[in-house]
Amino acid sequence: MRYHIENKIYHVEILPPKQSTEKLEADLELFAEKYNRVMESGYCACITDNAMGLLAFQGHEIINELNLKVNPEQVMIHLNTFHTKSNLCEILDTCMAKGIKYLLIISGDGSDRLPKLQPADVEAEDVQSVTSVELLRYIKRHYPDTFTLGVAFNPYEPPEHEFEKLKRKIDAGAEFIVTQPIIEKNAIVDEMIQKYPDIPVIVEAWMSKKLYLLSDAVGYPIPEDTEFDPIKTLMQIHRDYPNCGVYLSLLGFKTQYHLIGETWRNI
Amino acid sequence: MRLKNDSDKLKYSNVWVVAEVLSGKIQPVTHELLGAARSLADAKKSKVWAVLLGHNVKEQAQLLIPYGADKVLVVDDSRLSGFSDELEARILVRLIKKYKPEILICGATTRGRALIPRVAVVSECGLTADCTELSIDPVSGDFLQTRPAFGGNIMATIRCPFHRPQMATVRPRVMKAPDADFSRNGEIIFEEVTESDASKIKRILEVFHSDDVAVNLADAQIIISGGRAMKGPEGFKMLGRLAARVGGAVGASRAAVDAGWIPYAHQIGQTGQTVQTKVYISCGISGQIQHLVGMQSCNLIIAIDKDPSTPMMQMADIAVVGDLFEIVPGLTEEIVKL
Amino acid sequence: MKIVVCVKQVPATNDAKIDPETKRIVREGMQAILNPFDTYAVEEAVQLRDKFGGEVIALSMGPEKAALVLREAISVGADRGLLLSDRAFGGSDTWATSYVLSKAIEKIGGVDLVICGKQAIDGDTAQVGPGIAAHLDWMQAACVMEVCDADKDTITVKRMHEDGYDICEMSLPAVVTVVKDINTPRVPTLKGRLASDKSEIPIWKPEDIGAQSSKIGLDGSPTRVVKTAPPPIRNSVTKKITGTSAECVKELIAELRLRSIL
Repeated sequence: MRYHIENKIYHVEILPPKQSTEKLEADLELFAEKYNRVMESGYCACITDNAMGLLAFQGHEIINELNLKVNPEQVMIHLNTFHTKSNLCEILDTCMAKGIKYLLIISGDGSDRLPKLQPADVEAEDVQSVTSVELLRYIKRHYPDTFTLGVAFNPYEPPEHEFEKLKRKIDAGAEFIVTQPIIEKNAIVDEMIQKYPDIPVIVEAWMSKKLYLLSDAVGYPIPEDTEFDPIKTLMQIHRDYPNCGVYLSLLGFKTQYHLIGETWRNI
Repeated sequence: MRLKNDSDKLKYSNVWVVAEVLSGKIQPVTHELLGAARSLADAKKSKVWAVLLGHNVKEQAQLLIPYGADKVLVVDDSRLSGFSDELEARILVRLIKKYKPEILICGATTRGRALIPRVAVVSECGLTADCTELSIDPVSGDFLQTRPAFGGNIMATIRCPFHRPQMATVRPRVMKAPDADFSRNGEIIFEEVTESDASKIKRILEVFHSDDVAVNLADAQIIISGGRAMKGPEGFKMLGRLAARVGGAVGASRAAVDAGWIPYAHQIGQTGQTVQTKVYISCGISGQIQHLVGMQSCNLIIAIDKDPSTPMMQMADIAVVGDLFEIVPGLTEEIVKL
Repeated sequence: MKIVVCVKQVPATNDAKIDPETKRIVREGMQAILNPFDTYAVEEAVQLRDKFGGEVIALSMGPEKAALVLREAISVGADRGLLLSDRAFGGSDTWATSYVLSKAIEKIGGVDLVICGKQAIDGDTAQVGPGIAAHLDWMQAACVMEVCDADKDTITVKRMHEDGYDICEMSLPAVVTVVKDINTPRVPTLKGRLASDKSEIPIWKPEDIGAQSSKIGLDGSPTRVVKTAPPPIRNSVTKKITGTSAECVKELIAELRLRSIL
């Protein structure tokens, strides 16, 4: 992950087609187009796992089905705790076979349609419910030296609790950290970076102009009349966090992609 | 039956209540329905009949009269000791043919909702599920049945102009049970199970009744409900102590059930049960729509949560902003002192 | 074991807000989905087929776009789908709907077991499953939380009741309706979905199943909706209680007493 930061490799989020889509073939084509573009740019494609509890197809199965090229340094798959055990094994086995190295392990958002991993599934009988910590431990135990595992950090949660959680994640073997979206310098993120100087941190930059979605993501309301220019904000984030990587969420491939190429390099 | 003409309607009279009997005991919903049936029968100037199917229930028949039954039809047979949908449906269909009730109501319990659709299909008449309001149309004299649909978002009023009897299942705890009047008189009529009733029926191998009142959501006046914020089974034990103190049941959100902290029988919401209690106390349930549709019709909703902005806290009549792990035990303790 | 699983396309309830005036849910985004209870029915059918062999046929009545939920059933393991779609079916209540489905089940022929979800989340009636059993004069079990055993002639199931459960044995053919506790439905895979997108879904009309016109659609439906209205307004204002935990308890108790609950 250090390599990504030193070489200014963006983490570009790509949302896989939703299960509810009525035009799957076209959605898959679009996905492949975005994925290949990220590959060509030398960035890292980050594929979400039923984000916000909305059912979507899985990154590993799309890569498999469409036979997309995997450069181990250029793919990151999100993996949350809303799976069946057999599904989890299948995901991990496919990722291993395909050479997918980076996994972002999160607790995730459930929904009525999503099964939840049970403590016994990940050999964690001592807990009431499975979080990213137990999942992380399980993967470390059963797939040693196979993956580089990352975890999420939310600076908008009560800090004491969040830092305590982060400690457990790091103790369980997390090797990099991705934050929730930030739109300015954030004291809690600063504190976290100080606390873990040896762990690569990737801050999330919000590339959509839809502020209500951002409000949802950060968990506090951002006034709709806030002036918000994603590209300018991104540049500021680079200046504020020169030693961090950047994860771009909801990047506009038509409108913004061509602009980001120079953003980081010019800082 | 489908009516051939309007005068056919006159062949049908009286309001029937199908009694709910569990482990040989008449359930409160039956008393509620007798109350509702009384107003309907008064509007139609007809009588209230109760239908009691079960085993060793003869003694209980008399107990329906104080709540408003003018006649009680009793079928007492060992084959009726468990819940055999096929057998009970055949008996009801036969009795309906014989006595021609104008209206038939039954509790919208798991048994009622399995049994009455079978009766309605064979009797070729309409059925409205899970009604919360019943009345008689002053113009047509038809039975008006109002029920929530789309998880309580729409109230639909339904009638069956061309079929008799008119049938409805009625949500427990919505109608008010009348006070028992032991001076009332009524007639008890005994009917038998016929061989054809009892052909091709299921075999009940085992019956388990839980004595734990905390489980029976449909019967409770107060439900104390928890979600993911309960953090584990211990949290639900804490809710259980408050529930026991107030004689209530314990409910749960889907997340808590899926986490394995509490059995599915406690789940309230879209893929669980719909409840309409007097008081619903939500503890740390944020209020996903799938949960809200299962409880939004409760009379008084109290929400306890640290976060005042959740949908549940907005919907609540009383929103308590605070730490439920302090407030719930505090409440339990204070109620003991009362 | 030849299993028919009856499914329904319903509006999803993903997005919702609380109306500050009425305190009722305001739904947004009416995406059409497979009825949640039916996902358990499909999973159970597929598991039984995998255990006992045979075939799973997903059956639905609805507009042509309801083929989508049949495809979803196929994508998680159903062998094929059948859609009952015709203007003449429109306006069917639970009586007519269960009649149409029962005629289709007769037409399919040789069916051992029909599995339905306990109820659909739009109508919430729970009447169609038992209705099908009544039309066919088959045995039925509603709110099934476990299939304990089955062979070619019988099925033993555990039924959930408010106050416990019972276990009963039925001879086949039979109809069961299932609750959420029965299994954990698998999520469609991309492979399954791509295969289901290619499968043919035949559309059956009333004449294909020999349905009498007087028993389907509005004509065949005893019930009539007289009116629909919004539910009563809950309350105008939320009474907010804040302070230390002890203060909250005290004030809440006072509120409960005021309302004669304690």
